[in-house]
Amino acid sequence: MIAALSQYLDSVRHNLRLDFSIEKEVMNELASHIEDELQDLKEAGLSEEEAVSACVRLLGSAKLVARQIYEAHSQGSWRQTLLASLPHLLFGLIFALNWWHEIGWLLVMLGLVLGTVAYGWWHGKPTWLFPWLGYSLVPVVTAGLILLYLPQGWSWVAILIYIPLALWLVYSVTVQTIKKDWLFSSLMLLPVPIIAGWFIAVGWGKHFPEFSLERLYDFAPWIGLSFLALGASVAVFIRLRQRWLKVSVLFVSGLLILTLVAFYAGGRLGLPTFLFLTLIMLGVFLTPALLECKIRRGGR
Amino acid sequence: MAQRPELMKGSSESLLLCLVGQQPMYGYQIVKEIEGRSQGYFQFKEGTLYPALHRLEKAGLVVGRWQMLPGGRQRRYYYITDKGRRALTEKMNQWRDFLIAMNLIIQPVRI
Repeated sequence: MIAALSQYLDSVRHNLRLDFSIEKEVMNELASHIEDELQDLKEAGLSEEEAVSACVRLLGSAKLVARQIYEAHSQGSWRQTLLASLPHLLFGLIFALNWWHEIGWLLVMLGLVLGTVAYGWWHGKPTWLFPWLGYSLVPVVTAGLILLYLPQGWSWVAILIYIPLALWLVYSVTVQTIKKDWLFSSLMLLPVPIIAGWFIAVGWGKHFPEFSLERLYDFAPWIGLSFLALGASVAVFIRLRQRWLKVSVLFVSGLLILTLVAFYAGGRLGLPTFLFLTLIMLGVFLTPALLECKIRRGGR
Repeated sequence: MAQRPELMKGSSESLLLCLVGQQPMYGYQIVKEIEGRSQGYFQFKEGTLYPALHRLEKAGLVVGRWQMLPGGRQRRYYYITDKGRRALTEKMNQWRDFLIAMNLIIQPVRI
């Protein structure tokens, strides 16, 4: 196809950010439209160049077309909304009902998370998968934290083997997600600053991390509340159509929940820690967006 | 719609539903039909036709199906669904009532 039209279609494709199957249908449909239009314009006596330029003009802005098609498909159904918020709600309930210390419930949750992630990953990576995907990385982080409690001298095992492996795993999952849409990566990583906030609040002591069961009992209802709030913001995210609104909802609700963590942590999160966590929250949004730019530039 | 945006607000999807309700059509055909039948009054910014069609499809009012043409090319035809037909009837009634009311006001009063 002529360069200007290829560029037009490429521009639509780059801005669509939809499931591959939908993207393919949209692109084929537009290509078919262009073919019909070109033929008619040429039959009407226009030169190839004039026909192409008229065709692009008649189609209108590629970005606008892509944005409107995105908005036609971006709103998830109520079923998808429930599925996407479910991991946050379940984790919220586990803490709110104080079941977090029962190994049986934790194993059920772990099984549910891994099973759901495996199902979603092999079934086209739907939007509801990404909050679950975030939680599937929690055991990786937990294993790393457990390594901190190894006898002295063994910490080199953590440094040499575990950390590069864990980082590679998190990085490759994030990159895979970004290839679909950077916003899904932010959706996946949204709980990270919240979990980090509670981890610091619970573990802060003379020898950080100083794990205290008693403190965890005290904080459990508020930890539960913060996860339930995460679930609510994910539900709103899934139901919205406009992309800028989706980004705003995730970012603002993330900051509000961080404030809630700082408030209920009762002075255990000072201003510097809060600012540090805010920076992590910012990173959750900026890093995937920047990585996506880099990946796209590399792909061209 | 490129022209008369205020008048047309909210009715472009009714127009699409009306056309597809008469016979299955593909995107480019719809553009030409609307332009031809309205004698150029309605002109779609063609790219915005597809978002509108996809919104109708997502709402379950139409369904798109690919059809193979003799030359090996494919076109996506849109068919109205039962739900779409019910929505169309409702819209048509609303339009009729609107037009009757408008005519009553536009026509000079006979004393």
